[in-house]
Amino acid sequence: MSQERHPTEDLPAYALGALDDDERKAIAAHVETCASCTGDLAQLEDALYEAAAVGAVEIEPPRDLRTRIVLRHRDAPVPSQRSWGDRVAELLRRPVPAFVPLVLGVLLVVAFAVVGASRQQSDEYGRALAGVVDGRVVALAPSGANPDARGSVVIPTRGSPYLIVRLPAPPAGKAWEAWVLRPAGSGLTAVPAGTTERGDVFVMSLTAPLGAGEGVAITLEPATGSAQPTTQPVLAAEKT
Amino acid sequence: MPDKADDVKLVERIAAGDAEALGELYDRYGRVAFGVLYRMLPGPEAAEEVAQDAFHSVWRQARSYRQERGSVRTWLLAICRNAAIDWRRTRGKRLEREVTIDAAAELLSDAKVDERVVDSLRAEHVRAVVGQLPREQREVLALAFWGGYSQSEIAARTDTPLGTVKSRVRLAMNKLRESLKDER
Repeated sequence: MSQERHPTEDLPAYALGALDDDERKAIAAHVETCASCTGDLAQLEDALYEAAAVGAVEIEPPRDLRTRIVLRHRDAPVPSQRSWGDRVAELLRRPVPAFVPLVLGVLLVVAFAVVGASRQQSDEYGRALAGVVDGRVVALAPSGANPDARGSVVIPTRGSPYLIVRLPAPPAGKAWEAWVLRPAGSGLTAVPAGTTERGDVFVMSLTAPLGAGEGVAITLEPATGSAQPTTQPVLAAEKT
Repeated sequence: MPDKADDVKLVERIAAGDAEALGELYDRYGRVAFGVLYRMLPGPEAAEEVAQDAFHSVWRQARSYRQERGSVRTWLLAICRNAAIDWRRTRGKRLEREVTIDAAAELLSDAKVDERVVDSLRAEHVRAVVGQLPREQREVLALAFWGGYSQSEIAARTDTPLGTVKSRVRLAMNKLRESLKDER
């Protein structure tokens, strides 16, 4: 903890961004080294921005804003705080145990194989989404059990909605089944919207109409399909 | 209401270069971020431009996010607010557009709340807490937060002694902190 006096009086104004530059810099330097003030600042800012979230204007962002943000970064370099020069210099400063080069060599070969396959799928999914030139794209959220699954509902200006999905091939005797989620009372009802036994990156048409604001989900079902979902969704959006 | 631990995992994925995670963060908070920007800027075009810049900053700064410094939502909205203030200081001035005292005078608008970001019961609680602040305290919070004014600027613009403005900021912020402390 810093030995300086804690800026208790000015910390609220600092959190609010209402200090002049000199005061702000002095407190920023203190907070960097003081765990106690860091904790106080976090509480002040969390409270302030929660109030701001309630006070924000309720307005629909442009429909394609999400797509533009994601596309801008899809092939961007991995964000980094340090330059490659810094990293190399740091590595050179550290002593290296004798077994490390061997282990690194093995890991490198495995990593190339794994990353290569995963990257290829990721790129293919990205290219499929990037190919959408018309309409709205709504991402489906993967479940915790399938964090690598990716899916989006594409709602074209003209024509029927469809899904772009990245999922592994279903096990033998099983299929991925799509559902349209419709509000029913206080919950949702699932309407069957087609099955497929495909895997990797694929496009799936919705065989049930998708109304405004209705949701979409995908579950793993018997290959013949189910009348109601029998497993938890691997991908879902409660509203589109 | 998004789970905070999941938010942190999203930021870790963004730091690892996962653009889809950036999209998922947008799904969680893009709407409220856009709402904040829309309130601070002169129109939807500016809000759209600054939103893209702000999410690019999220991409670049994801590695520096520290959980102990506050929630991901706070971090993201702070990035958005700073980007909006920067925009106003550069392009906003050229366009001679500035948030007026009146326009920024209330911390909360009457707009309904996006329940994906703040659940409705919690939002009622937030409104009640802010509503209980004296009008003068709400005004300095709003001018500083939405208007981007410093305490000394607020003192000059409202013809109030600087010490009084500081005192109002301190009392209001500490009240918010005490009443909205994370109890969930």
